[in-house]
Amino acid sequence: MLKINKIDVFYGKVQALFDVSMEINDKEIVSIIGANGAGKSTLMKAIAGLNKASSGTIEFMGEEIGNVRAHKIVHRGIVYVPEGREVFPEMSVLENLEMGAFNRKFSKAELNKNIEESYALFPRLKERSKQLAGTLSGGEQQMLAICRGMMSDPKLIMFDEPSLGLAPVTVSEMFDAIVKIHEVRKIPVIIVEQNAFMAMSISDRTYVMEVGHMVQCGNSQELLNSPTIKKAYLGG
Amino acid sequence: MKKVKIALMALVLVLLIAFPLFDSNLYHQQLMNQVFVNIIVVMGLNFITGLTGQMNLGTAGIFALGAYGSALMCTKLGTPVWLGFPIAIVIGFLIGRGLGYPSLRVKGVYLSLTTIGFSEVVRLILTNAIDFTGGSQGVQNIPFLNLFGFEFNTPFKIYYLYFALTIIMAIAAARIVSSKWGRVFKAIRDNSDAVEACGIDVANLKILAFTMAAVYGCIGGFLYTHMMGYINPTAFNQDLSVNYLVMMMIGGIGSVAGNVLGAVMVTLLPEILRFMQNYYWLIFSIITLIFAVFLPYGIVSLFKKSERQERHFDIFHSIKKAREIWGGRIAK
Repeated sequence: MLKINKIDVFYGKVQALFDVSMEINDKEIVSIIGANGAGKSTLMKAIAGLNKASSGTIEFMGEEIGNVRAHKIVHRGIVYVPEGREVFPEMSVLENLEMGAFNRKFSKAELNKNIEESYALFPRLKERSKQLAGTLSGGEQQMLAICRGMMSDPKLIMFDEPSLGLAPVTVSEMFDAIVKIHEVRKIPVIIVEQNAFMAMSISDRTYVMEVGHMVQCGNSQELLNSPTIKKAYLGG
Repeated sequence: MKKVKIALMALVLVLLIAFPLFDSNLYHQQLMNQVFVNIIVVMGLNFITGLTGQMNLGTAGIFALGAYGSALMCTKLGTPVWLGFPIAIVIGFLIGRGLGYPSLRVKGVYLSLTTIGFSEVVRLILTNAIDFTGGSQGVQNIPFLNLFGFEFNTPFKIYYLYFALTIIMAIAAARIVSSKWGRVFKAIRDNSDAVEACGIDVANLKILAFTMAAVYGCIGGFLYTHMMGYINPTAFNQDLSVNYLVMMMIGGIGSVAGNVLGAVMVTLLPEILRFMQNYYWLIFSIITLIFAVFLPYGIVSLFKKSERQERHFDIFHSIKKAREIWGGRIAK
């Protein structure tokens, strides 16, 4: 479905990604793990069109999207849920969700259906639908960011650090939700995570990044048991 | 609560309609007309600076082009006066696109810089292109507006025309603020990265907001020209731009009702304070400062009784919030 072929990405003169390739097939969960500065978020942003690759290609459903602008990529069905709970603090929960569907011409019924789906996923959002998003807890904001991403009926969704700064209980709630989204919508999911264990345990395949290079990739279960991965990312 | 609000608005409406009938002082009527013009300009500024959070410091230039455009057309080419209205809209549109496109496609303070520059360039051209604009002498004998043979040639007649126009433009502005667009404008101010992630073309919407601001500003200039009958470039300086910002801030950022209140207060209060003679501007500035500190959300927040607003009476919170708003705005 998504095919990234040998891309290089630069921030000014600094090269952040070197010759990175990856592939996401229909209906799979893929996790990308790596230390700080490995280039995980850069890769996400390159797919979302927020960074441009200076060489290489990004193909989505057979079409080249490397030069498509960020908002157009959302139209094509790739949604990026950025790290750090980027919600609109001065808007209510409901308004935040509606913003997610802004670029789609939904009928009122379709819109309500999507909103109901979000509420079913996270009932807590329903209780707080009139509340300002800025007054929600960190976990609730993350829930909202995830649901807002789902509002435009994406064909592929990418989560950047969904567990960042959350309590352990909330983290597992978040991952449960991601699995549920995957099961209900039947769309491929990409997760970028520092929390390698969590990400690998729910994903089918895992890519490992190190300082801008893609160093390893394979079945998540196998990688979980591989000694090098254990040593580097899972604390021995 | 809603009934009280409607009743209050109806009362204000009646008072405003009755005002020139009871107060025949031409100066007072003229002042009220100035208030209407200012309301329109501030409502425009609200789109780009209030809602979208992009600092526009070139209102004076926009206003001046609207004013001069119509004035020169009438006096040099002898076109009918009403034609200035569509011309003002076209000029506004061109400014919005022409200035917005290069300065709003990238993040940062570029709009503030280009608008300051633009406004000064406009003022200098108006001052120095003497053959065309009359230089610092300005344009004289600008005809009054007329519609179907009826000439709006006294402040009394102008009052009702501008009053009606202001109401129409306020309704339009309020509709835009509460529309899908208005919401995205606010979203861009609060978190433009997240807007991008929603699949919205941020640059395009910023340019749209600025274009609307320019159109409102030019219409304001057009109305001003045909009310005064004489314009000269010295009026359209940086102070004017800042004055409109102050109106927006005092009244309430982002709210049309706030814009109206702010324009009324900043236009009329100095006149009321004139009895203090040399000190009136000092007193006015102090009052403005007090408003900025204690009511960072503007006069309009006095009427909104939500929990969120009440907290702002706490002074420390107010200062913090004001810093956030203005600090954030400048940083963006």
